[in-house]
Amino acid sequence: MKRKGLGFYLRIYCKILAQDLKSKMSYRADFIISTIGMIFTNIAGFVSFWILFRSFPEINGWSYYEMLFLYGFSLVSLTPVQCFFDNNWSLRMYVYSGDFIKYCFRPINLFFYYQSEVFDIKGLGQFAFGIGTLIYSWNKIGLGFTPLILLKMIVFLITASLIMIAVMNAAAATCFWITNSFYVMDLALKFKDYARYPITIFSPVFRFIFTFVMPVAFIAYYPSLVILRPDDVPILSWLSPLFGCLFFYLSYKFWMFGAMRYSGTGS
Amino acid sequence: MSNIIEIKNVTKEFKVLNRREGLKGSLKDLFSRDYKTIRAVDNISMTIAQGEIVGYLGPNGAGKSTTIKMMTGVLEPTFGQITVNGNLPYKDRTRNAQEIGVVFGQRSQLWWSLPLIESFKLLKDIYQIPDEGYSSMIKLYKSLVDIEPLLHKPVRQMSLGQRTLSDILAAFLHNPKIVFLDEPTIGLDVSMKNKIRTLIHALNKEKNTTVILTTHDMGDVDALCQRIVIIDKGKMLYDNDIEHLKGFFGSYRTLKIRPDGDIKDHSDAMKNELAGRSVSVTSDDEWISILVNEDKTKVMDVLNVIQKSREIRDMKLEEISTEEVIRKIYEEGVK
Repeated sequence: MKRKGLGFYLRIYCKILAQDLKSKMSYRADFIISTIGMIFTNIAGFVSFWILFRSFPEINGWSYYEMLFLYGFSLVSLTPVQCFFDNNWSLRMYVYSGDFIKYCFRPINLFFYYQSEVFDIKGLGQFAFGIGTLIYSWNKIGLGFTPLILLKMIVFLITASLIMIAVMNAAAATCFWITNSFYVMDLALKFKDYARYPITIFSPVFRFIFTFVMPVAFIAYYPSLVILRPDDVPILSWLSPLFGCLFFYLSYKFWMFGAMRYSGTGS
Repeated sequence: MSNIIEIKNVTKEFKVLNRREGLKGSLKDLFSRDYKTIRAVDNISMTIAQGEIVGYLGPNGAGKSTTIKMMTGVLEPTFGQITVNGNLPYKDRTRNAQEIGVVFGQRSQLWWSLPLIESFKLLKDIYQIPDEGYSSMIKLYKSLVDIEPLLHKPVRQMSLGQRTLSDILAAFLHNPKIVFLDEPTIGLDVSMKNKIRTLIHALNKEKNTTVILTTHDMGDVDALCQRIVIIDKGKMLYDNDIEHLKGFFGSYRTLKIRPDGDIKDHSDAMKNELAGRSVSVTSDDEWISILVNEDKTKVMDVLNVIQKSREIRDMKLEEISTEEVIRKIYEEGVK
């Protein structure tokens, strides 16, 4: 048997993805309705944002366009969790019904196999919307464009995504212990709404919580400081790629530990 | 023949919370650490050779699935050791998975929205099946069953029978050394059951695949298994040839009676009339069955007794069926 490296998993993922897209297109009505739904959700989010900030041109030293930048940043960084890890939402159903066991019989990584099953195409709308917002605010702020800043942007977007994925993995994996993880996941998802605000507007208690307990501040705030406030970047921002990888790794371990423990109790 | 599976003194224990009754009990349970240990599998040993078909039987909750989960590497034995194909399944779950196929009767492992052929192609990549192996397997499938209409149908649109068939084909696709089938014919119609039995038999012959089959359908056992293993309450009751098993009960025959009038009443009355003789009386909608131990009681005597007080419309005499043998073992054990 050949070794199963990254290339192997990437190839498998692409094949599953291609098949999945093909079959999704065959549910045309569902596809169109969910796309429209996604567009409206994004517009509604944007409008409420706009109404709020029309009355406050500046918050704690953050201008309207900088806030918009944060907003776009959080949208883009939430895309991977939406697209690639959406099956986390079904985990509790599989665990509850005992169907989860069917994932344990393949000679590939359990976590990969489980997550590969669903690709949520709706995330792409959010991605497009986020990119649009980013470019628009980028221009308005006048950040300029160099390869270095683009590189920073990509690194920190990936960082932010990893953290969001980690949060959702960990939240979903709680179902291996408590069976119904919906409320935990819902709570985690609600927290992400705080990601789009600069953490300095919160009280110190919440600042601490959003940095170390529910690390939502890493989803947009700390990473985007590198772009928006290049002269005054806190150490936490530079550390955030490290945190991203660490959180992701820990959440993966937690998920796998839960899965092993769960199948260990029989069903 | 070499042994592909070796199970040595395997025990599996689960810790279960002692649950209390009622709302108050549930509240107490929230904080309770009061666990009890349940032995799902209790000191089981067996070896299985390459190419065997083994019927693994037992009443519901006997520990069959637990044993299978240990052999597939999903569960770790509490005590004892299992080797499958030279691997320790729990330690090398993925390596073990490469060499086994698993079908759980009602839980399809195929991609729900994909046509079967696409699932096959994905499995080909996942199991890294070489091209020749894959195409010869597909060719073999085509010679055994009519899969053409299934190949391009999404799994979600299939009937239960078609889905089970597909799952079995998928489990054999990477030419595994062992295939575990957990109640493969559950809920299927007679003709589909027959199709699936023929398929399993043919694949076992053709590829010398070891098949471990759990079922409650004695038709499966009669059609497929030379050897059966019976467990109950986690303990092994029997492990031998199926013929040998029938020999145990060779002197048993079943007398089937259809009397005039209500079958239930007659059957209750007969139980009284025949008390003291070594017989057991059961009834269904059509027949009253009397299992007679001919070493102790003559069938003619039984017939004499029961026709004294009633008209018999119809009767027949049957050799003991596997089903009844198994039932007797569940109820009384092997003596």
